[in-house]
Amino acid sequence: MLMRHSVFTLLFVISCFACFAQPKGYSAAKNVESFKTALAQSNAAVQTISSDFLQTKNLSLLAEKIKSKGKFFFKKDNKVRIEYTSPFSYLLVMNNGQMMVKDEQKCSKINTRNSKMMQSVNRIIIDCMRGSVFQNPDFRVTVYENAQHYLLSLVPAADAMKKMFSQIDVYMNRKGFDVDRLTMTEQGGDFTNMEFTNTHHNAPLDEALFKIK
Amino acid sequence: MKRFLKLSSLLIVIFSSCVSPYKNLQPVAHTEIAQQLKPPVFNKALYRSVVDGGYLFKKFHLSGLLLFKTFENGTIRAVFQNEMGYTFFDFEWDKGNFKVNQIIPQLDKSAVVKTLRKDFELLLRIGIKEGKDRLYKKKDETYHRFTLEKGYVYYIFKNNELERIENAGQKNKVITINVSNTVDDALPQTIRYIHHKANFTIELNKIDADANE
Repeated sequence: MLMRHSVFTLLFVISCFACFAQPKGYSAAKNVESFKTALAQSNAAVQTISSDFLQTKNLSLLAEKIKSKGKFFFKKDNKVRIEYTSPFSYLLVMNNGQMMVKDEQKCSKINTRNSKMMQSVNRIIIDCMRGSVFQNPDFRVTVYENAQHYLLSLVPAADAMKKMFSQIDVYMNRKGFDVDRLTMTEQGGDFTNMEFTNTHHNAPLDEALFKIK
Repeated sequence: MKRFLKLSSLLIVIFSSCVSPYKNLQPVAHTEIAQQLKPPVFNKALYRSVVDGGYLFKKFHLSGLLLFKTFENGTIRAVFQNEMGYTFFDFEWDKGNFKVNQIIPQLDKSAVVKTLRKDFELLLRIGIKEGKDRLYKKKDETYHRFTLEKGYVYYIFKNNELERIENAGQKNKVITINVSNTVDDALPQTIRYIHHKANFTIELNKIDADANE
């Protein structure tokens, strides 16, 4: 009984630290409401986003990194194209509840409306880009800041997401609220960084980029 | 007459499919064969991976990246992730002892783990015990046979180069692993698993480098 009590106490202490631990170099945002307002205003003016990305998968226990790169496109309200170009070819398109994935051999269409999990994945990618993550019930969001960035720390609240990720961190630059980096940490400790560069807003994007064939 | 011909040809097909593909192997002495079967030597090998198969009327297709890594202490890890960096499984062999470090719930079935473990152990030659091994010849191919807990594994060489690996029961082939472009003792450039009974294939194509920054 005492042993069980000690374990629960320990777990409680750890969970308290996990809840209140501040990311290094960041402090809790002083005025979250004004941040939300500024973000909403900035996003209202953004119709399209295009950028390059470098993805680095960090395998914690192996001290190993797997890098890939490609292009990212977003068009309001819910169109996303993630195109890996090196060292392999892979395409993911989301458009109005439909998803298409294409590798070197096959193209598959998925109706995300049929899968709660796929809906969550679909939504979190769009939310991160659109800044609408505060309305997402699948996550608890905490906002931190430093001189250069806002950091939105997303902890899954829904079971499906909890199984996949322990945390998702969205780094937005203070200037234009662009997402500079996205860090997805898995339950096992491995994490994937997506660094976005060469970001352009409101450049005309052809509908064909988001066509699900 | 026609009916008789049809029936007899059907019987020939049935009969020939029952004949072991290893029936006409000619035993040879170890001293007659120059090459030795050694485990592949590698520090790290990254493969583009595609899995295709079917179960009843459902087809499945899965792609991702597979990393093999050998640590200084001899521990080997096999980690499979999807293109977006999410880890599907992480297997480890420490002095031949197998351990699952991580696996997603959808794959966490004993039959799946057993199959994948066997696939990798045949390729990496883990737990393949010498002593009861036999050598055979068939035309210009050399068959190096090892006894497994169930059935046999044949490492088949042509012109001193590994052509394929076959796992078989007493009569029928269970798995064929076609390999190509094996340089010295390294892992092959391309590997194709054909699971004859379970009806699925795994294609692995070596990626020489990560995306450059």
